[in-house]
Amino acid sequence: MDTSRSYLEPSSFSKKLAATIIIVYTVITLIPISWMVMTSFKNVNSAISYPPEVFFEPSLEGYVNLFTNRSRQSQEYLDSLPPPENWYEELVRSREMVITGPSKFLGRYSNSMIIGFGSTFASVFLGALAAYAFSRFRVPLKDDLLFFILSTRMFPPIAVAVPIFIMYRKLGLGDTHLGMIILYTVVNLSLAVWLLKGFMDEIPKEYEEAAMIDGYSRLQAFFKVVLPQAMTGIAATAIFCMIFSWNEYAFAVLLTQFNAQTAPPFIPTIIGEGGLDWPAIGAGTTLFLLPVMIFTIILRKHLLRGITFGAVRK
Amino acid sequence: MAKIELKNLSKTYNKKIEALHDINFTIEDGQFFVLLGPSGAGKTTTLRCIAGLEKIDNGSILFNDESVTEDQPASRDVCFVFQQYSLYPHYSVYENLAFPLRSPMRKLPEEEIKTKVESIASMLKISNKLNNKATQLSGGEMQRVAIGRALVREPNLYLMDEPLSSLDAKLRESLRVELKNIQTNLNSTILYVTHDQAEATTLADKIGVLKEGHLVQIGTPEEIYENPNSIYVSQRLGSPKINILPGKLFGMDDVPTFGIRPENITIGTGNYSAKIISIENLGSETVVALNFKDQEILVSIQGNYKSSINETINFDMNNEKVLRFDQKGNRIYER
Repeated sequence: MDTSRSYLEPSSFSKKLAATIIIVYTVITLIPISWMVMTSFKNVNSAISYPPEVFFEPSLEGYVNLFTNRSRQSQEYLDSLPPPENWYEELVRSREMVITGPSKFLGRYSNSMIIGFGSTFASVFLGALAAYAFSRFRVPLKDDLLFFILSTRMFPPIAVAVPIFIMYRKLGLGDTHLGMIILYTVVNLSLAVWLLKGFMDEIPKEYEEAAMIDGYSRLQAFFKVVLPQAMTGIAATAIFCMIFSWNEYAFAVLLTQFNAQTAPPFIPTIIGEGGLDWPAIGAGTTLFLLPVMIFTIILRKHLLRGITFGAVRK
Repeated sequence: MAKIELKNLSKTYNKKIEALHDINFTIEDGQFFVLLGPSGAGKTTTLRCIAGLEKIDNGSILFNDESVTEDQPASRDVCFVFQQYSLYPHYSVYENLAFPLRSPMRKLPEEEIKTKVESIASMLKISNKLNNKATQLSGGEMQRVAIGRALVREPNLYLMDEPLSSLDAKLRESLRVELKNIQTNLNSTILYVTHDQAEATTLADKIGVLKEGHLVQIGTPEEIYENPNSIYVSQRLGSPKINILPGKLFGMDDVPTFGIRPENITIGTGNYSAKIISIENLGSETVVALNFKDQEILVSIQGNYKSSINETINFDMNNEKVLRFDQKGNRIYER
């Protein structure tokens, strides 16, 4: 009998099994993502070649196409032009096209950034205040209010799309950054309040009482003592909120067009512009993936502790 | 420092549970006042009311004859040492000590903060830990820092809620001595809560005994020990515990109950005889438990005592030290 391990520790077989399952799962999840990244560096032809090319000559064509609008021209016209000024113009001309201007991608992308981070900040900030109040004060009808907040998540948000559409049109909030920030904040807030309340409950109230006696007001104590200790919960909540508002598609299609359109409804429109430009789509989705990925990696340390909240607390 | 006065203080939780009932007492400037009582007696509630963490229902709290009843905790200028959870875990020891000095109420210049923090740290022998995170300290160091965070200020009053109870016995003793020295040197006013009788007797200038939200007796440690006004108070102090016995057993028919402290009983000669149940040698004293007519009686004897269990032995009581109580457990004074 193997006596070198404690009874609580899993056997080496179950550890290996667990590792195998995790590796297989990781590979399965990563294949589409790595395929997407690979596609973004292919050219139009190798992207659709059959059998698919795993090894290929990398090209930035997809990224150039993503960021520019182009038009096809005759060889005579192209010859009449002065020589290309930079590498991307050269690349476009080799496809018998000229750059007519920048595409809308950058604008849509920054809309996504503003709306995504804006609504994440608002959800976490308001959620933290509400969670603190629910956790510390005797709020009348506390349980009912908390249930009411939770109940806003019991139906898919899109179920109220029509009323919101009409409301936003009347209020002039349609196709505005503010409107989208408010909308995503409203959807995320219930999650934020519930998640953060759990974390706030875990923070002993002695800390802010000590701060209040040390000469701080309750609000100052909240910012100086409570918030830093709720960082775990704030990070976890922020990631969930960010993922939702970053990926949200349906409301973005419905409520935004020109001014505040985010990246998710924009990327599919690439398909329509002159055939299936898979490298450009791959480039768009790859770039779209980056912010959430970076955001999650930055907050990962807190997130890991956050997921086990309630179990271990220092 | 200040003189603290509580007048007719009452506090009810959730409109039902009466935590404090008509509490009146005065802590003189520079006095070490100890509140004594079992858990649930209202000790902590009293402290929290004085600090302003709880709203009181009735009565008033005066600092130097001025009411602070309606003031926010921050503006009352008191210090609170909590039983636990007392340090901010995200700050270093230095930051913890500097925290009260940085508050908007004070906003001292950084230079002055540095001097104060360092002098307190050296007084409490934690100078080498200033850059540690609060969570990297041992229990004793944490509690030192917590006391230090209170001492960096010169408030109206220090409130201490069983600050030593989470420490081990040895550390508790040494910190107790330190605390008393600091208090004497700084002449600070302290309201201290404990259920540890050794802390109460060694630290206190005055003791207040709480019972279910009522302040039942106030006095010097000697008064509380020698002259308690009820069975309840008599049981608060003394180790081994006071013997509470029915009067009938000893021919005192007019006294329902009486109390006698273990050191006021002598063994060897006397009118009563009893069987020895157990002998506990504590070093400087020996505690002998006797069975007298099915009542357990504890006797404390100086030094070592040699005898064996189940032996029958005579004993006597010092009649002058007998405390007589009536049916309700209140003291009968006249004879």
